[in-house]
Amino acid sequence: MSTEVKHEGSLGVAMKRKEDPRFIQGKGRYVDDISLPSMLYMALVRSPYPHAEITSIDISQALKVPGVKAVITGKDLDAAGLGWLPTFHGLDKQMVLALGKVLFQYQEVAAVFAETRGAAADGAEAVEVEYKPLPVVADPFAAKADKVILRPDRERKTNHIYHWEVGDKDGTARALAASPKRIKQRIWFQRCHPAPLEPCGCVAQFDTMGRLQFYVTSQAPHVYRTALAIVTGIPEDKIHVISPDIGGGFGNKVPVYPGYVCAIVGALKLARPVKWIETRTENLTSTGFARDYHMDVEIGATAEGRVTALHVATTADHGAFDAAADPTKYPAGMFGVVTGSYDFPVAHAEVDAYFTNKAPGGIAYRCSFRVTEASFAIERAMDILADELNMTAADLRRKNFIRKEQFPYPSPLGFTYDSGDYQKTLDTALEKIGYNDLLKEQAAKRARGELMGIGISTFTEVVGAGPSKHFDILGIKMFDSAEIRIHPTGAGIVRAGTKSQGQGHETTWAQIVAEELGLDPQNIMVEEGDTDTAPYGLGTYASRSTPVAGAAIAMAARRVREKARKVAAHLLEVAEADVEWKEYKFQVRGVPAKSVTMKEVAFAAYTNMAQNEPGLEASYYYDPPNMTFPNGTYVAVVDIDRETGESKVRKFLAVDDCGTIINPLIVEGQIHGGLTEGFAMAFMQEIQYDSEGNHLNTNFTDYLVPTSQETPHWETAQTVTPSPHHPIGAKGVGESPNVGSPAAFVNAVMDALSPLGVRHIDMPLTREKVWRAIRDAEAKKKQL
Amino acid sequence: MNLGYSGEEKVAANLATVWAFLQNPEKVGWCLPEIIDVTVQDPTHIDAVVQVAVGPVRGKFKLKVELAPNPAGRRIDVKVSGGGFGSAVDLTAGADVTDAADGTTLLKWSGQAVARGPIAAVGGRVLEAQAKKLIEQTFANIRQQISA
Repeated sequence: MSTEVKHEGSLGVAMKRKEDPRFIQGKGRYVDDISLPSMLYMALVRSPYPHAEITSIDISQALKVPGVKAVITGKDLDAAGLGWLPTFHGLDKQMVLALGKVLFQYQEVAAVFAETRGAAADGAEAVEVEYKPLPVVADPFAAKADKVILRPDRERKTNHIYHWEVGDKDGTARALAASPKRIKQRIWFQRCHPAPLEPCGCVAQFDTMGRLQFYVTSQAPHVYRTALAIVTGIPEDKIHVISPDIGGGFGNKVPVYPGYVCAIVGALKLARPVKWIETRTENLTSTGFARDYHMDVEIGATAEGRVTALHVATTADHGAFDAAADPTKYPAGMFGVVTGSYDFPVAHAEVDAYFTNKAPGGIAYRCSFRVTEASFAIERAMDILADELNMTAADLRRKNFIRKEQFPYPSPLGFTYDSGDYQKTLDTALEKIGYNDLLKEQAAKRARGELMGIGISTFTEVVGAGPSKHFDILGIKMFDSAEIRIHPTGAGIVRAGTKSQGQGHETTWAQIVAEELGLDPQNIMVEEGDTDTAPYGLGTYASRSTPVAGAAIAMAARRVREKARKVAAHLLEVAEADVEWKEYKFQVRGVPAKSVTMKEVAFAAYTNMAQNEPGLEASYYYDPPNMTFPNGTYVAVVDIDRETGESKVRKFLAVDDCGTIINPLIVEGQIHGGLTEGFAMAFMQEIQYDSEGNHLNTNFTDYLVPTSQETPHWETAQTVTPSPHHPIGAKGVGESPNVGSPAAFVNAVMDALSPLGVRHIDMPLTREKVWRAIRDAEAKKKQL
Repeated sequence: MNLGYSGEEKVAANLATVWAFLQNPEKVGWCLPEIIDVTVQDPTHIDAVVQVAVGPVRGKFKLKVELAPNPAGRRIDVKVSGGGFGSAVDLTAGADVTDAADGTTLLKWSGQAVARGPIAAVGGRVLEAQAKKLIEQTFANIRQQISA
């Protein structure tokens, strides 16, 4: 019956991205491309003071600026019950516009609405705010003293936000005390910022029916809709959130920011649409930062190099509000994955978070919640232990890996790792990069006094939040969803609760559907980001799209297939039980020549369905049974110039195991991007504040983003250990390179400097820091 | 960003002339470098508008200046606070006024400034030198005005 060309399958095919033609041609439609009739523009007045009482706000001059229509302040919002908004996990609240005092530099103080963007900026400049400076708390260790209480609005009059711990505290202490070898190191993962190319922004409009049409740069449109309903009191059916194309998110576009609330209030007050687009400075200074974890890491080991215990005590700087993007029950996210790829018999991790006069945040910058900092801590500490034991970094890791037969592996800090073959991944990497030859080269160079380093990172991350029994945001469980409709001609549409910001969902989601249904992925349209049409989902961040929504898509497609089977049975004139899905088509069991394709079935589903329900569609809400655990081995080779401190990354190999690969081209692209971000954190990026609370990296001159000139050449390879609980075995990959690479770079630099006795330098490893370390080490040697 | 400076100016006028000048807020106000406007509020308070250019940060600053002359202690203290384009400065300066006995008067001054906002961040690399220059210029202007 079938005359179709044999379908070869869509999974694992390096299809070019379907979305790229429009991006490459500049035809993407971003929030700032949206222009509505009679639209106003909003600008925000921000505080130059990091901590100050507001003694007065005078808007009279601003209202005289030509084109300015209105100015709102915190008092106006407070009177309307909108003074505060809940933070991501619902455990704190954040001022929308400053009320009584400001708590960080660049905090939002007033919003100005005007006919043009320029008039709004001029109006903001004309708002006169008088401040009375208050003492500044610029670091979390000073915050501990509670000499200045930053948040008297809270019930507990302390800067301490929370203490969180997991694991066996006493058992770990005993094991450490009994260990013949111990290392202890404070490792700081600096404050950094995702700095997406497109800053945050929105357009708010109340349409003729009084319904809010909200265009916004959101990684989680449905969560926004619910959060806006909660904050504003607008019924959720009267809110339509649309996330159009997004120019990078990396976690930065997950939180609901004060500017969004102000734009909505302005649109309501003035009965005109309002657009607000951040400047680069506003993005870097006030939206969600990442990391800022000071981690005291202690490992115990036997003299032969078997790890015996791990203890990590972290001091976290959360800034002025506890706006860390973590699920409700996990204030320190998935930091419990800090035992990494190693079989620690016992472990204990604790985090104490503090308020400071800095921007709020702590978002999951291209990692599952707090996983990059955890991975960096253990991978650095393992290298320090190897140095202490005079072992190679590779040998120490081999000795302590969780073995493949141990999976599913219950970690001492509460996770059940799904699958992995760490030994194989490491071996693949070392063989591909020529590790033994590199060691010989390094020995020769060291003999000549040259500084060459080889850095290894064998990381494991935990992604795919998450099972509803553990994970929620504002009480909403972290499932995800998909809805598939197959049209009569065998084309179709899939809608998901996720939102691509560059991940390539329009291609990978189509490939999953095509694989499951034997259709052409080029004719499967993907739609996301519109809360009126997409099924409810928790969005795209923390590497959850493929593990959760990707699973929902596969399961929805299988539901479509089950319905199609009935139609196929009718077409093949056999009982449904005699129809099997094989080689991407329905066949009569035992009679492969008698078959129908899904395309034929799709047509029949609308034209010749017999007693079956017409149409061919299904939806699925997927509640994952477990997280997934992508892993990999990264190897960096660096040469350091003794005279300048410059570290040149000569070679870098990433071997990733992300389970089943949907599209190798997209996986490779994701890895290239993440490695470039990891490189930036390792060598270039830090959000710095001076002791007065001044933010010192307010633009791309001071907060560096690597260009093609600085970026090393990346080599990639894969091992594949499918996730046993995911419908197609995929684990997710987008964040692995950001999680795994910083340690590889830093380990390489420290390996290069180890002959000088340098054990650790905090990131970013700027030329100056490395040069000073070399100079100090050489001076110390001369003194001896 | 915390900045501290000191220096001295020798004014070709006697002590009485210098004191008369220092107690005239309008005259002192116009000694601020790049001054655009001075409005005297009362004998010890003025509002001033100055043009500021530190690195790429350029615009007008509105400043409130408080003068605290103390003829008996032969000292004048000045407090300046204000800002513009999202930046803020707080400056305190003081000068000991000494009769040099040769018909000239010595202004021995010191000052501290705190800068906040884009001016501290963007102008960070050049702010220190620029602020020093501005304070020096203020006292140099005072010397010139009195001498003239």
